[in-house]
Amino acid sequence: MDGSQLLKGVLDLAVLAVLNERDGYGYDVVRRLREAGLEEVGDASVYGTLRRLFKAGALTSYVVASDEGPHRKYYGLNEVGREMYATSTKTWTAFSDTMASLLKEGQ
Amino acid sequence: MMTPDQYAQAVRDALADHPDREELLEDLDDHLIEIAAESDLPLEIRLGPPELYAEELAAAYGDRPRSRGERRWGPREWPRRAHARLMGEESYRSFVGFLPELRPGWWVLRGYVLAMLLLAMSGNGGLVPGNLGEWAAVAFGVWASVWFGRRAGRRWSALLAVGVNLVALLALLAGMATVESRDWDGRMVAMAAAPQPEVWPDRASANDDVYNIRPYAKDGTPLRDVYLYDQDGNPLTTEPGRHGYRVDESCGGPVLNRYPLPLVKDGFTGDEQTMPEPTPACPSATPSPTPTR
Repeated sequence: MDGSQLLKGVLDLAVLAVLNERDGYGYDVVRRLREAGLEEVGDASVYGTLRRLFKAGALTSYVVASDEGPHRKYYGLNEVGREMYATSTKTWTAFSDTMASLLKEGQ
Repeated sequence: MMTPDQYAQAVRDALADHPDREELLEDLDDHLIEIAAESDLPLEIRLGPPELYAEELAAAYGDRPRSRGERRWGPREWPRRAHARLMGEESYRSFVGFLPELRPGWWVLRGYVLAMLLLAMSGNGGLVPGNLGEWAAVAFGVWASVWFGRRAGRRWSALLAVGVNLVALLALLAGMATVESRDWDGRMVAMAAAPQPEVWPDRASANDDVYNIRPYAKDGTPLRDVYLYDQDGNPLTTEPGRHGYRVDESCGGPVLNRYPLPLVKDGFTGDEQTMPEPTPACPSATPSPTPTR
């Protein structure tokens, strides 16, 4: 099974989970997702997801000046984002449990 | 190699018809600068072609451009898409990552090839420099190529580099084909379509297999007492002695470039002569050579 297809369905939740841990800028989020094991995640997919979540009002953003490079736009969860994260987590957990049970029966 | 600015602009161009383009790409430039700072690999290799990046970005954002879903990829875009897909393979990624290391070597080879090409076009040169002046020209060519290669990141020079690389590659292939067409003695095999002369001496003095020549006129009449000279006016001669023949001296002193030669089998005399060639009558006079160039 192609992992990248599965990833598309849960990328929102994965990004929310990373930002729930702590705020981060675009490439930082990509890097943390890859470090967590989602190595196939595409930079453009994460960047697009961040912008969509921001447009949906789930994220706040603020700019942090950097001496080493460009200014970084950090994203963090706001109240809407935290609620979205909680709801998505419940949905995913229920779905994951159902799938785990289904696969167990099939073995 | 695209700069972050160039890459971002290409993404913007690809999303020209996206309704939320400005909002979507608000901090793309800083994002790309961040990525570019982490590695020396070009952005188009790390992230794939900008057009594909834009497509993935728009898909993740959700609001696809109106026409994008029905877009058909042209023949120019297939290689890019194939490249982007292959970038998912570790072995291909390693290979692509190794390519930049070959660049300096190519710059040197390119300078050499182009310098030799220019020398060849000016009537000198070959595959290797033949004198100090040609070596100096090659050294300059290599220096210029390396200098140009190190500056080829800009848009105008990138376009020029494609042309220069193409010319160098063609010249290199032509040079390799030239080497292939040389025979093992290092002599060039000349393939020239020359008008058929009435008498055609086939470099008899250079060919060990020829010990006599039988000239014929255009209408097929055998010619006699034909004097042959090379392009410098030197008599064309053969060595019949190496094939067991000698020139008949019954008509007087032998003229070795008058054909066909009156040959007799070596070791035979008088009535026992065995003539392998038609015996010409004794000529009357010896002409002066009038070589033509």
